[in-house]
Amino acid sequence: MARRNIIAGCVLLICSLAYGFLTIQLPDRGLPNTPGPAFFPWLIAGGLTLLSATLLVKGLRGVHGPGQAAPSPVSSRGWLALGVFAVYLLLLPTLGFVTASIPFFAVLTLLYGQQNRLLVVLTAVAVPVLLFVVFRYGFQMLLPRGVWL
Amino acid sequence: MGEVLLQGFGQAAAPSSLLATAIGSVLGIVVGMIPGMTISTGIIIVLPLTFVLDPSVSIALLLGLYVGGMLGGSFAAIMLNIPGTPSAAATAIDGHPMVARGEAGRALGVAVLASFIGGLFSALCLFLIAPRLADIALGFRAPDLFSLVLLGLTVICSFAAKSWIKGLLSALIGLAIVSIGQDPVMGTARFTFGSADLLSGINFLTALIGLFAIPQLIDNLGRAGPDAHMSVAPTSFGRLIPTWADIRRIRVPVAIGSVVGTFLGILPGAGGPIAAFLSYDYARKASKEPETFGHGAVEGVAAPESANNAVTGGALVPMMTLGIPGDPVTAILVGALLIHGLAPGPLLFIERPDFAYGVIFSFFWANIFNLIIALAGLRMLVKLIAMPKTILMPAIAILCVVGAYSLRNSVFDIYVMLFFGLLGLGMRWLEMPVVPLLLALVLGRQLEENLRVALTGSQGDISVFFTSPFSVLFLSLAAVSVVWSIVSSRRSAKGAR
Repeated sequence: MARRNIIAGCVLLICSLAYGFLTIQLPDRGLPNTPGPAFFPWLIAGGLTLLSATLLVKGLRGVHGPGQAAPSPVSSRGWLALGVFAVYLLLLPTLGFVTASIPFFAVLTLLYGQQNRLLVVLTAVAVPVLLFVVFRYGFQMLLPRGVWL
Repeated sequence: MGEVLLQGFGQAAAPSSLLATAIGSVLGIVVGMIPGMTISTGIIIVLPLTFVLDPSVSIALLLGLYVGGMLGGSFAAIMLNIPGTPSAAATAIDGHPMVARGEAGRALGVAVLASFIGGLFSALCLFLIAPRLADIALGFRAPDLFSLVLLGLTVICSFAAKSWIKGLLSALIGLAIVSIGQDPVMGTARFTFGSADLLSGINFLTALIGLFAIPQLIDNLGRAGPDAHMSVAPTSFGRLIPTWADIRRIRVPVAIGSVVGTFLGILPGAGGPIAAFLSYDYARKASKEPETFGHGAVEGVAAPESANNAVTGGALVPMMTLGIPGDPVTAILVGALLIHGLAPGPLLFIERPDFAYGVIFSFFWANIFNLIIALAGLRMLVKLIAMPKTILMPAIAILCVVGAYSLRNSVFDIYVMLFFGLLGLGMRWLEMPVVPLLLALVLGRQLEENLRVALTGSQGDISVFFTSPFSVLFLSLAAVSVVWSIVSSRRSAKGAR
């Protein structure tokens, strides 16, 4: 728990300093005695820096939060799914919704433990096609169609 | 007034609205019943539909889902001892022992009836309180509104986080994200790095899909396997409609749950789980046979059930009248209304009173449909608990993509969703609550706008926040909530050592 507080404190402190640096560069267009566009970000940067430094100090002093530390939220299968998801999102504009979603759905179904291969194939084709038809023609929503359509 | 009420009733009673409420209720019950699915996920699934539907139909669908989801969560808690939603955890304590005793029908029937009464009571409170509170809120000026939004955020931080530092950090991260794009007063571009996509800021619905749905999909993956679908074999339920003897026994617990649930629902961030456990505790203390609690007492099902459904109507009060959502679901409702150009808050009751009352009447209908659908279709609906997650979860993943994309027909929003998914996972690992972040995304612009307008009007004099009695009240309550959070956090830390 203390280790996680140190990590969180460090990461947030870096982020808040970066946010403060970006805030310095904001244009000062305010009227005299009135808050400009940078006013609110300054308050946020100050609060973030102060609190993340406090969290870091608590972590370094070994102060534990209440209860046990939570286990890692992502299993190895979870990381794989996130990778597949990222690839799917990258390919989506090029391949189009249906073409990209079919293999994505199939891989995800297998990762979730479906062993019936016929069911995997059938649902991987049926679900994206059905969703495309419903949203495109039923609700007139423009889903990505891919570069060749 | 009478005419406005009639228009509101007509809006809620239109066939399309009624159908949407009924569909929402069925979906809500199903989503709530499936362990690992939350009401937020259910709403995310139907979110793309709400973009194209009429606002009154959209809100009817979402309200049906909200109310149905609360009840559905209890079915899983009773049948499987796995709460479908966090709010249903207290129901499992006595509900599941009743199933083990062969009284599944009795437990489910009492849960349905208690939920209906709790929901109806909160709907009545919503109907009576909301217009009056909106009248008062109309007199609020910028300093009052700033202090009110600040209060909402601090209360949420206090309730949502085990550690006050992490709760406030989460809210500040949300405020930092909301500062991306044009500033709300002068329109100056901030933190956009020249990107046109960032100029209009981060849409909080996109963020919400990422923050809630992606960690949940990954969570379910951790539990996945060939037996990922649950099996439930309710061979015989017995009588579903509660007997007069049961109705007499649950009178007091239901009354306790309804009042506690509605009151806690009005407080931002308190939410269903607290209301359900508190009502359970009060009902046990009020019972002549407290020793039966925990061993299948029908009162132990009724109190938390009426409470968690009463929370729904209570949560709509600050959302409708002040524009302050108290939980993720009402935050989504705010987003759904904003998409249609309807900003929840006191002005809604002035500019579109027909719509505001329509929402309240739709909430009444949602509770009525919930009762009918649950009693009529319960035997069939309970079988859906066994729905295979191997198909359901990938379908939800694709629906998340559709939801994020269709907000602005932008691939950029899909990447934003993935970013927030990773942020949600990271925050979970660091035990940082995501609810304050989400609420900061909803309320951040309002907070900044009112702060700057107030300071501009006073020429930078901060005493403007201490001259209005409302502002002083809200700021004092905000300070109390932060101090209370710090003290309780320290007590918990000492207790853990």
